[in-house]
Amino acid sequence: MPIEKRSVTRFELLMDAGAGAQKAGDILLEAFVAMGKFIYVEPMIPAEISPAARTRYALSGIIIRLADFDINNIGNDTDLILASQEVVLGRRLDDHEFNARCQILLDAGDRDKSPATYDAVIERCAKEGLIVTTFDIDPASKQIIADMSGKGTNLYYLGMLSFIYNMDENTVKFEIEKNLGKKLDPEVMKINITLYLNGYQMAKTRDFLRYQVDASPRQYDKILIDGNTALSLGIIDAGFKLYSGYPITPASSVMHTLAKELPHYGGRTHQAEDEIAAIGTAIGAYFGGVPSITGTSGPGFSLKQEFIGFAQAAEIPIVVLNVQRGGPSTGMPTRTEQSDLLAAIYGTHGDATKIVISVSNIIDCFYAPHVARYLAEKLRLPVIIMSDFQTANSYKVISRPQVVQLDNIDNIPDFILERFHLKRLAAHIETVRPLQTIPGTPDGMRRVTGLNTDAQGQVSTSAQESQRSHRVRNNKVNHVRQSLDKPTVFGPATNDILVVGWGSTSGAIEEAVSLAQKQGLGVSGMSLQIIYPLPLMLKEMFSHYKKIVSVEIAYGDANKLPPLASLLRADTLVDIQPLIATATGRPIRPKDVLAKVKEVLK
Amino acid sequence: MTPQENIIPQNPSPVTVKDLNTENPRWCGGCGDFSILACLKRFIVERQLRPESVVNISGIGCSGRAPNYLNTYGIHSIHGRPITVALGLALTRPDLHLFIHSGDGDSMSIGGNHLMHGINRNFNCVFLMYDNEIYALTKNQTSPTTRKGHRTNTQPFGSYLSPLNPLTVALGLGSSFVASTADWIPDHLMSTLSAAFDHPGFSFVHICQRCVHFDIENFDTKTSSWFSFLKHPNGISPDKRLADKSECLDHDPTNLNDAFKYAAADRRYFGLFYVNRDKPRYDNILQNLVAGSPKKDRGKLLDPYSI
Ligand code: SF4
Repeated sequence: MPIEKRSVTRFELLMDAGAGAQKAGDILLEAFVAMGKFIYVEPMIPAEISPAARTRYALSGIIIRLADFDINNIGNDTDLILASQEVVLGRRLDDHEFNARCQILLDAGDRDKSPATYDAVIERCAKEGLIVTTFDIDPASKQIIADMSGKGTNLYYLGMLSFIYNMDENTVKFEIEKNLGKKLDPEVMKINITLYLNGYQMAKTRDFLRYQVDASPRQYDKILIDGNTALSLGIIDAGFKLYSGYPITPASSVMHTLAKELPHYGGRTHQAEDEIAAIGTAIGAYFGGVPSITGTSGPGFSLKQEFIGFAQAAEIPIVVLNVQRGGPSTGMPTRTEQSDLLAAIYGTHGDATKIVISVSNIIDCFYAPHVARYLAEKLRLPVIIMSDFQTANSYKVISRPQVVQLDNIDNIPDFILERFHLKRLAAHIETVRPLQTIPGTPDGMRRVTGLNTDAQGQVSTSAQESQRSHRVRNNKVNHVRQSLDKPTVFGPATNDILVVGWGSTSGAIEEAVSLAQKQGLGVSGMSLQIIYPLPLMLKEMFSHYKKIVSVEIAYGDANKLPPLASLLRADTLVDIQPLIATATGRPIRPKDVLAKVKEVLK
Repeated sequence: MTPQENIIPQNPSPVTVKDLNTENPRWCGGCGDFSILACLKRFIVERQLRPESVVNISGIGCSGRAPNYLNTYGIHSIHGRPITVALGLALTRPDLHLFIHSGDGDSMSIGGNHLMHGINRNFNCVFLMYDNEIYALTKNQTSPTTRKGHRTNTQPFGSYLSPLNPLTVALGLGSSFVASTADWIPDHLMSTLSAAFDHPGFSFVHICQRCVHFDIENFDTKTSSWFSFLKHPNGISPDKRLADKSECLDHDPTNLNDAFKYAAADRRYFGLFYVNRDKPRYDNILQNLVAGSPKKDRGKLLDPYSI
């Protein structure tokens, strides 16, 4: 029975939607974590709720990347796929994320349902050079699963995977009990454990390739969390007291978490009648002096634009979270993309003055709300937090971030500002109207409006007053620009090529740079945290590289510059070309960055 | 805090109409908006509401300018959305008195969705619908309440459709308070403001408002034979000046069927159509949820995620 040692490996469990692949994966990864492993996990979520089984839309699953060291992205490709039937397997193969040595384990139980489809997928694997090992669930387990109306297959697969990854039977059993114990009645629990053990036993009898996973002492003070949950908790820690949203994928899970949690911390979650109402309510509350945030994705972000402009003009602080997804229009709600960048920076009619912050990893997710609130209140401008499907839904084990319990924004700790490469802003920043009292303040009565006003707040169409308002609002943005330090650079500050990215591509860039350095290539990387405004020294930093390229999950070709490249070129007048500008909905892989860099360096 | 309780004045000197003035309103001479503004100022003085505890919130249109002319706090927001903004204050600052100013286009057209949900949420505010039956600030276009056949710039051969009826709409949406009045009967307008302010919930106040610039014939303010007052001990008293001259009908404002009958009639009725003081309030529900949730320590925020 072959067993391979791997310091980093990736596998997938693919099933029909609703069959519990993610649940099984969650149990397994907690067992890995208990063994001291580092993981990065991406759930595969169908766009529909209950697509019919054995259709291409039904693909649901979990990708787990497992390593002996900290990892910040989902990696290159898959070493092992366990698929419950051939249709979901065929669909997933279309994404081409397997490597040449990928081992495929296919449950042959559905073989007779559609022999033609089955044979076609097997043939296709052979063409791709992939080795498919088919297996059958043992007859006793099949009977148990049939008696449970088809439930429990995921536990059987969990057993198989536990053996393949050389896990201790009891470690996983303990995690199953921890995860399902509260929800299932003891009889059903017993059946589930039986299925798990049967899967484990069955795998023992077969000649699957196995992987050695070494147990190392559990690392303490770690948390297991996904991007949207980290953001939700960051919102609480940053002192927001109202979250106002409208159901939309993939931002909704933030609202779910906060609906449960905020009331325990003196705040409330409001589900509005639409996206526009959601931001309107947050703006109203912030005018009343109560820190408020609205969150959305894709189409909802378009709908909020008029109110974002209003908040600029009326000088009411507001924080808007945009968890990006595939676009345009409804696009791909359960896939990732970074094409909203320019809409975030320039969206809303008229001159746009706002700050755009991005999150590159889960710890950023936790602290972005703090920085956003600091900037929104300090400048009385809208601040946009840009996440994306990938960051929102991936989870990993991280060192526990420090909870700071922010109330007064002036007490924001330096380490949070530094994380976003920001220096503390001046104590006083000029506003269009000096009077910025909140309701209830005697003798502070004032009116705000989206119309242009003079410094006293009176509606004005005077040429000078209009020009002044624009200048004051733009100076606010300039304050931030001047307070920005150098962004994160991976690798040397002078080099042949610099690969620039933002948000969820940062992890892949970082890993590609480290691979390139090991191969002696002159590659450095850069990740931007605050993406608008851009730091002043960017052009100077770029001058130390022979070539600057962007990597982004947004469409670009010879005739179309993708958003980040456009932005950087406009800002620096450096001829920045996209290295990778794809909108496949899939994350960018370190090995693709490396391959493209090599082409350019040739 | 109930709407009747005012914030304890820190500055004991009484509020006067002068204290509430800002600049001179920029409406056309003779516009009904002047009268609504004057009545609201008189009401604030009559109740001695502290100006710092009053927030006027408006959308876009001639009515949208109202907050700029009242020396209280104010938000002149965007077209159709003042209800959403007011809700933010209602959910987080129950100590404030909220007046929403919205026109027929603002509330029945672009902001129709928010009117529906504002009424249903029944959060505490006085909602003033300035119904001049026209888009005025954008210069004479058909609005949802423009009478059929009336010529406008967008429907020059006469407005095509029968107008929406704001009163049956509000009643149909389950409004907890529906009243109608007119800008040229200030005594009745004042009594209506008073009843609306005292009602705990979303008080829907429909106001027939003259637009002398674009539709001078719309409301005949010289005669009173074309409307009647609804009266009841728990309702709104008929206008003092017209009480003898106009028809005054008894109507129990808890009778929803009769309310619909009067609201849907061809004839105009002013007064309190309907009131229900028991309708649950969303602002209270959320506040109670926060107050009733066991407090958690923010310092232990991440503990449940520990592994
Ligand atoms: S246009 Fe009509 S509604 Fe507007 S200010 Fe003039 S009279 Fe009043």
